[in-house]
Amino acid sequence: MNTSFAATASTGVVGQTNGGLLQRRIGKLWQALGPLVIFIVMFGIVAILTPTFVGGGGVTIVASSAAPILLVALGQAFVLNIGSIDLSNAAITVLGAILLAMTLGPLGAVAPLLVLVIVTLFGAVNGLLVAYMQVPSFALTLGTLGIFQSAALVVSGATTVYVESNGELVSWLYTTAIASLPMTFLLGVIVAVVAWLFLRFTRPGQGMTAIGKNESGAIFSAVRNRGLKVVAYALSGFMAGLAGTTIIAQAGSASPMGLGSDLLLPGIAAAIVGGTSISGGVMNPINVIFGALTVALVPIATTALHFDPSTQNLVYGVVIIVVVALTLTRSRSATVK
Amino acid sequence: MTNTLAKPTGNVSVDTSELSSAGLTRTRRNILSGIGEPVALLGALVVLIAIFSALNPRFATITNLQNVLNQASLPIIIGVGATLVILIGSIDLSVEGVMAASGVAFVLMSANTRGGQDMGIWAFIVPLALGIVLGAANGLIYTLLKVPSFIVTLGMWFIGFGIATILYGTDAYPELTNETLTQWAAKIELGLPNVFWLAAALVIVAALVLRYTRFGRAALAIGNNEDIARANGMPVRKHKVTTFIIAGALSGLAGILATMQMGGTSNHIGEGYLFLTLPAVVIGGTALSGGKGGVLRTFLGVILLTVLNNGLVLAGVSPNFQSALSGAILVVAIVAAAWSQRGRLRIAK
Repeated sequence: MNTSFAATASTGVVGQTNGGLLQRRIGKLWQALGPLVIFIVMFGIVAILTPTFVGGGGVTIVASSAAPILLVALGQAFVLNIGSIDLSNAAITVLGAILLAMTLGPLGAVAPLLVLVIVTLFGAVNGLLVAYMQVPSFALTLGTLGIFQSAALVVSGATTVYVESNGELVSWLYTTAIASLPMTFLLGVIVAVVAWLFLRFTRPGQGMTAIGKNESGAIFSAVRNRGLKVVAYALSGFMAGLAGTTIIAQAGSASPMGLGSDLLLPGIAAAIVGGTSISGGVMNPINVIFGALTVALVPIATTALHFDPSTQNLVYGVVIIVVVALTLTRSRSATVK
Repeated sequence: MTNTLAKPTGNVSVDTSELSSAGLTRTRRNILSGIGEPVALLGALVVLIAIFSALNPRFATITNLQNVLNQASLPIIIGVGATLVILIGSIDLSVEGVMAASGVAFVLMSANTRGGQDMGIWAFIVPLALGIVLGAANGLIYTLLKVPSFIVTLGMWFIGFGIATILYGTDAYPELTNETLTQWAAKIELGLPNVFWLAAALVIVAALVLRYTRFGRAALAIGNNEDIARANGMPVRKHKVTTFIIAGALSGLAGILATMQMGGTSNHIGEGYLFLTLPAVVIGGTALSGGKGGVLRTFLGVILLTVLNNGLVLAGVSPNFQSALSGAILVVAIVAAAWSQRGRLRIAK
């Protein structure tokens, strides 16, 4: 990863053959466009084999089911980018959705903002523990996952919580669509674009990528690694909260076992299929959009292609492995964990 | 130190005595930190047992002990495989998928309520082979295609689950009709359940292998520093594939045993086992970064979490709080383990 970085920084370094450079350029191009190409190819196959798919609202279905996955995946990608992982974000989504369903009636328009602040703080607590206690994030967020799950069960009384009134404050996100793309999905796209600008052009964004590439190097370069880790986890919590909002917009209710409780693995898969490196330092939020679309397309595509529904999980697993194997940036010397 | 005060002129002897005393404290500290964590775990276990015994007299009975050990056995068996994988610095998330695939294969090949033929010993061999094949696929894709183990095994989770779903089909829930099979796991032999004897035997074998064999030492070496292990001529790739095969076989075994315990199976048989076992491995003190830990620690970790869950149920605590308590204990355990090593330049992923 470091070598490709150096190559772009100074094109035509002494001793580099043209062939190697070309290969690297192609690799870089594939890294940038791979997720898009894979989605288009898959979508194309489905569209050709099932002509009614595109005309019959297939795009809307894929986009609306991709929306919560995309938001969770973007948050996850921020954490993966600093070389950590957040296993608790889907649990935060569910807890956020439950809190929103409970507060929307009494508090009205304040409720979404309040819930977003709360879930951002939840994320920040994860980040504070990872950064200042220096514990492995996988184990820590596995622990906080359990705590958030319990909190969701206790707060909701282990049943479905319905939005009593003011539901229209968020439901327009699902019912309004531009070019047959629901606002929930477009919200995710806007977040992705802002995230891309943040990562590409701001000092904290570049600092986060630096931490993921080489944390020791980043520390010695006066990158505020601990603060940025907290920010990355807070962003993950915030985006999990947005995902919870889209769930309320779509369903008007939330439950600890319902919509959103199985977002963790699709979220990680979408981030990775979108070209995010699991070891950190490589993230393109725009590609995460196509990662989320691909992940959302798989179950819909298997149904549209009249595969037996029981093969869905098998196809899903194969697609994850194949897509990552195709888009992975490898270097000969790197240790793969 | 008193020596230095008594003989202020003897510079050389002062140096050596300081050195040797420093060396002594260092070794003593090493020994202490080596046994410190297991002792802390045992201490926590004793405290939990004392509290739960006080809360409910039914807790500290032989029947309940047998019950706890029966419950702990499958996480222990899975934990042995998970520990071996985590020791080399990788992770195996495919446990639940492999369990589902082997569990469904097992029930359909045994005498069950759906009918079909009883395949006898093959009902055990085929599901185990299925686990081995899925484990080997994990290991080979991971090492040959260099896809991170997290992603390979995540995909294999879905693949195993998919195989189970296809095998299961849409017919009625299949139950085992052979009572010898359904009662084997919980049957008490020499005071303890059969399935626990099996789990304990696997732990002991794995502990001995890790301590005394080339394979075991290589696991720690690879986890510690893979580049150096490779530079020293260790067959790293072969070792990794073998480890994933063992983990797959143990998940397959767990699928069979879970089916026997439940008396039947669906494709959801493995659900919850992964996120029960991984915290136990970490609480036991095996480092997720690899190279440090062992199966005996995992054994303690599983027992601790099982006692906690069992005790909470008997103490009348709502099950809604259980995952929070396990989670909180996990957080406290890892914070305590990392506390002494904190440093401005330390990297924790």
